[in-house]
Amino acid sequence: MKIRNEKKINIKKFDPLTLAVLSKRFEAVTSKMANTLLRTGRSGVLNLARDFSTSIITNDCFLLTGAESLPIHHLSGADLMAKSLLEMHPKLKRGDAFLHNSPYHGCSHPADHTILVPVIDEKGKHHFTVWVKAHQADCGNGQPTTYMGHARDVYEEGALIFPPTKVQENFKDIEDIIRLCRMRIRVPEQWHGDYLAMIGAARIGEREIIEISKEYGWKTLHKFTDEWFNYSEKRMISAIKKLPTGSSQAKSTHDPVPGTPKNGIEVKVKVKIDSKNAMIDVDLKDNPDVMPCGLNLSEGCARTGAMIGIFNSIQDSVPTNAGSFRRIRVHIREGCVVGGGKHPVSMSVATTNLADRVTNPVQRAFSKIKDGIGLAECGAIFPASMGVVSGLDPRNNNEPFVNHLFLMVTGGAAAAKTDSWLTILHAGNSGMCFVDSIELDELHFPILVKTRKLVSDSEGAGRTIGSPSGYCEYSPIGGGDIEVAYVSDGAFNPAKGTLGGLHGAASKNYLLKKNGQKEKLPACADIILKDGETIASYCTGGGGYGYPWDRPVEKVQKDVIEKWISRRRAKEIYGVVLNNKFEIDFIKTEKNRKKLSLKKH
Amino acid sequence: MRFAVDTGGTFTDLVIEDSKGKLHIFKSPTTPNNPVKGILSAFDKASEYFSISTFDLLSKGEFLLHGTTRATNAIVTSGTAKTAFLTTLGHPDILVLREGGRTDPFNFSVPFPQPYIPRSLTFEVTERISAQGKIITPLSKNSLQKVISFIKKKEIESIAVCLLWSTVNPIHEKRIGKILDIELPKIPFTLSHELNPVLREYRRASSTCIDASLKPLMTEYILNLQDNLKERGFQGRMLMLTSKGGVMDYKEIAEAPIHTVGSGPAMAPIAGRYFAKIDSKSSTAIIADTGGTTYDVSLVRNGEIPMTPETWLGEKYQGNILGFSSVDVKSIGAGGGSIAWVDEGGLLHVGPKSAGANPGPACYGKGGIFPTVTDACLILGYIDADYFLGGKMKLDFSKARKSINEHICKPLKIKLNEGAKAILHLATENMVSAIEEITVHQGIDPRNSVLIGGGGAAGLNSVAIARRLGCKELIIPETGSVLSATGAIMSELHADFRALFFTSSNNFDFKGAQRTLKKLKIKAEKFIKGTAESHLDYKIEFWVEARYKSQVWEIDLPITKNLLKTKQSVEKFRKDFDKSHENIFAFSDPNSPIEFIGWRSTVNCKIRSRPIGKIKEHKFSKSHISKQRKAFFDKKGLLQVQVIKLEDIMKNHTVKGPAIIESPFTTIVLDIGSKAIRTNRASLKINF
Repeated sequence: MKIRNEKKINIKKFDPLTLAVLSKRFEAVTSKMANTLLRTGRSGVLNLARDFSTSIITNDCFLLTGAESLPIHHLSGADLMAKSLLEMHPKLKRGDAFLHNSPYHGCSHPADHTILVPVIDEKGKHHFTVWVKAHQADCGNGQPTTYMGHARDVYEEGALIFPPTKVQENFKDIEDIIRLCRMRIRVPEQWHGDYLAMIGAARIGEREIIEISKEYGWKTLHKFTDEWFNYSEKRMISAIKKLPTGSSQAKSTHDPVPGTPKNGIEVKVKVKIDSKNAMIDVDLKDNPDVMPCGLNLSEGCARTGAMIGIFNSIQDSVPTNAGSFRRIRVHIREGCVVGGGKHPVSMSVATTNLADRVTNPVQRAFSKIKDGIGLAECGAIFPASMGVVSGLDPRNNNEPFVNHLFLMVTGGAAAAKTDSWLTILHAGNSGMCFVDSIELDELHFPILVKTRKLVSDSEGAGRTIGSPSGYCEYSPIGGGDIEVAYVSDGAFNPAKGTLGGLHGAASKNYLLKKNGQKEKLPACADIILKDGETIASYCTGGGGYGYPWDRPVEKVQKDVIEKWISRRRAKEIYGVVLNNKFEIDFIKTEKNRKKLSLKKH
Repeated sequence: MRFAVDTGGTFTDLVIEDSKGKLHIFKSPTTPNNPVKGILSAFDKASEYFSISTFDLLSKGEFLLHGTTRATNAIVTSGTAKTAFLTTLGHPDILVLREGGRTDPFNFSVPFPQPYIPRSLTFEVTERISAQGKIITPLSKNSLQKVISFIKKKEIESIAVCLLWSTVNPIHEKRIGKILDIELPKIPFTLSHELNPVLREYRRASSTCIDASLKPLMTEYILNLQDNLKERGFQGRMLMLTSKGGVMDYKEIAEAPIHTVGSGPAMAPIAGRYFAKIDSKSSTAIIADTGGTTYDVSLVRNGEIPMTPETWLGEKYQGNILGFSSVDVKSIGAGGGSIAWVDEGGLLHVGPKSAGANPGPACYGKGGIFPTVTDACLILGYIDADYFLGGKMKLDFSKARKSINEHICKPLKIKLNEGAKAILHLATENMVSAIEEITVHQGIDPRNSVLIGGGGAAGLNSVAIARRLGCKELIIPETGSVLSATGAIMSELHADFRALFFTSSNNFDFKGAQRTLKKLKIKAEKFIKGTAESHLDYKIEFWVEARYKSQVWEIDLPITKNLLKTKQSVEKFRKDFDKSHENIFAFSDPNSPIEFIGWRSTVNCKIRSRPIGKIKEHKFSKSHISKQRKAFFDKKGLLQVQVIKLEDIMKNHTVKGPAIIESPFTTIVLDIGSKAIRTNRASLKINF
């Protein structure tokens, strides 16, 4: 990764207020772009789940801001994509827009269509690039899912791949590209609507940045980016200096899917904190080569996976941009399963499954360096409660539909001092997506969500606890069938706890047949759900942090009262004894806790 | 006569507009346990001033506009009713899961929020309705009976009912309502389809639960207040302020008290906009209202008062969503009553805890032992112990000194004046960051706006705040100490009715649309007849929330003249929609059908014809005011400075700092280097 070095600025220093105003102003631009996408997107994955990101990149290809973006989408990747754009299209004009989804040129994975718009002044000079990335409901894969976990290569995967491709000139669509997409992407109207929303969001960003330039002048804005990077680096230095020097290793294993070894993929990470020089190194090189499946990581996702683990583990909230990134080194190996594969390796599922298996051990390695930092592991995805559903809607003249559900996902890891964030979704998302509204899902797709609730006694026990599992059931409604596709990690390798914390719940998926039979479904499946049948899905939970018997008794008591855990679990796992009025028996509790801790040691 | 009463956390403000249009201000301490008492004692003060009986005074009132922080405070202090939440079988965690979302992905020190109603008080009822309104599972009376018997055992005080798809087919919610009426006649309840018929179960459930949890407290309070006022001679119309910056009839608010949440602060920008324009010719203003308990900040941007469609009580995604749009106000726990304290690590804090009106700051001598911002100001010489509230309340200097010495100076090993200065300084910083949150954080440069200082304690550090932010100037309106009540007196009567009806431009259901609009029109007319008959003029407008096919968020557009009766008018609407979409989102999609979902009628009734008047001078004995006083100023220490009565400053006359300007309701500290000029409108305009 190229590092943007500190530039010597001879001009008078920015006053702190202008620095603050401009940083927020640029953040506000990305928020406004995000708002446009949320409000105008057509597919549920955009307008319900908010599975998209917006950011701004400098003209020398450094990430300036990605406020409110999904971490896995942009920390590393936005910069790589902007760079590949400049390489392939050195002459940019006002009114241009580019479509980019190539994981071979910096994009996360092919389902993440990205629109890049260069912000160009009246003299034709390029100043910034605005960047809008949105997970599509469909991207033309061989099967109706955007996650082809079992695809041997990009050809079997089938996605349309766009290295930076011009889609607008003079603010007008290049119809060839639009027609091409319409022929190969399912429910083309929906895709086109989302495309328009992305273009709209990017144009809003362009418009806003030009507005700011009118107020401050381009020169000031470029000075600002330098200052802002320097400031962010300083913040990162002070955050790292608060950590102890040390190193640690951790592993995390992805469940087997077709194309992986039979025990799945074990990912090893090495983390080194150099407090004195304020540097953090993560080494991912000692891992297997690419595999004939869709799990391989793109370069962007491999780097970002490690970076998320780092930012999750430092205590201060440091701005995430090219300035703070100067203090991070992620070591990857090209051709490695977690290093950025070469064409035609498939990276269909790069943003989630294996990327999480990079983030999780990184944050756990931090906790092993010192109790009080880092996190346990977050749960893995995608169970069927987050499947891609498709088919024809019998309620609506059999119109075709395809969409990625975000019905039930928890998975939050316990932090050193805080219980998990319940709706973390998965490590790379960090809770930024929304959970679907049942009413909106049922309105837009022919499904009936019979149940959606959290599961008692399924939390990742610990001093602080990981999220419990969530359960949901849904069926087709209206008489037709629906197709459901998912790639579920975490059935065999649930989220690990750390420093004595227990692991989180595993994922499980079932088919409930018309005759009442319950059939276990595989981890990775594409099934037809018939009228009268129901899919039942348990999502993964998150791991716990620290020994459960160190959890404050009042918290355990409250967990029981609020039905998160049973009295029995309180006693057996946490050592807290409650009577049937839920009052604490302190004497028995103390004894019991001592016994539990002795048994362990 | 018109009355506006704003019950804040510390003071109850009464503004009376007399028959000649002059304004009169009265303040009385809020009595939190029985706020009616505080209101009546404010009226007693007024009647004393007018030398008539309270009965005669009240009987002259045609309107009483009332805002109260009672609902907001109840939520903030967990003082709401013990409420049960009834929902559809299989979906007990609607309030726990919310809609997900997070603002700060790498910050793991913030815990996941607690549901508004705990899981232990959430009950599932066997029933289910589909998106099309069909009954999939009929309501099981048995399951409801089980819930009811639980509720009886658990001493529940209020009930919220929100079932899936009750907006499309409310039959089960209605049925539950009927059964609750019979089985639990004393327990109030809220049905989601009646209160807030919107899509998205979390939003509707959150509205419903917040509303239900306020009912026992608020319904009793509102009806009790009305009875008390009536008994004492008031025959006019009692209207309550709403979070939308409008007013509604008290009976409707008693049925849906959620609308009063945040209502007081929502009025301040209405007054602020007026003064910014008239005194500073500015259309962009920051309105800061300093109460005893909270510091409320709002904005006027290009003459508009920004509304927020997503109102969160607390932080976004972490607090609870109100489910209604409201005036955008940021509130923090900082005010005259904010308590200063030193933590174990030796760090000084101010707020968010407040001493309130009772016991109040240490210097009130009512038993308060902890030092507050007011105590600090007394020590620093900013407040005159003998002239607080125009001399109506004597402050105890020695109690303030003792309290600051003991709780601040001793642990920090500093001198009294330094301790007091540090308290005020920190309070200023807290207030500055609240303002930055609604300006800088939204990319608005405060240096381009004027600061409107409102609230009784505004004058103490508003100059410092304005300087710190680099604002153009500071305006302290004559009625600044009662900004919300002033806004209330200026406001219009407003009501908003809503219905869900789905149709598409592809196959527009003219009959259905007309039926829906007619229903909304009837509701609006009923409001005008029933609750707003004393209006001067009124306006009914119709709106529809529309979107492109398969979008899920709508744009709100007015329906023009012929109300979508003809194909041409639908075509015209479609063009307006495309244009509006293009303006907001930089693109349009003229080939896509448009879906129509939420329909609304709004009523605005004008209830005043003349501009707001000036304050009638109060008759206070001048002897109380010392002409000079020692006060503490930054870098200079204790200085002997001029103390000037606000009413003595003539129009266009300038006062230079350091100085202290006093009125019966506020004290304004003019720092060194600042100067204040009295404007035509009797406000103080301060530059630095």
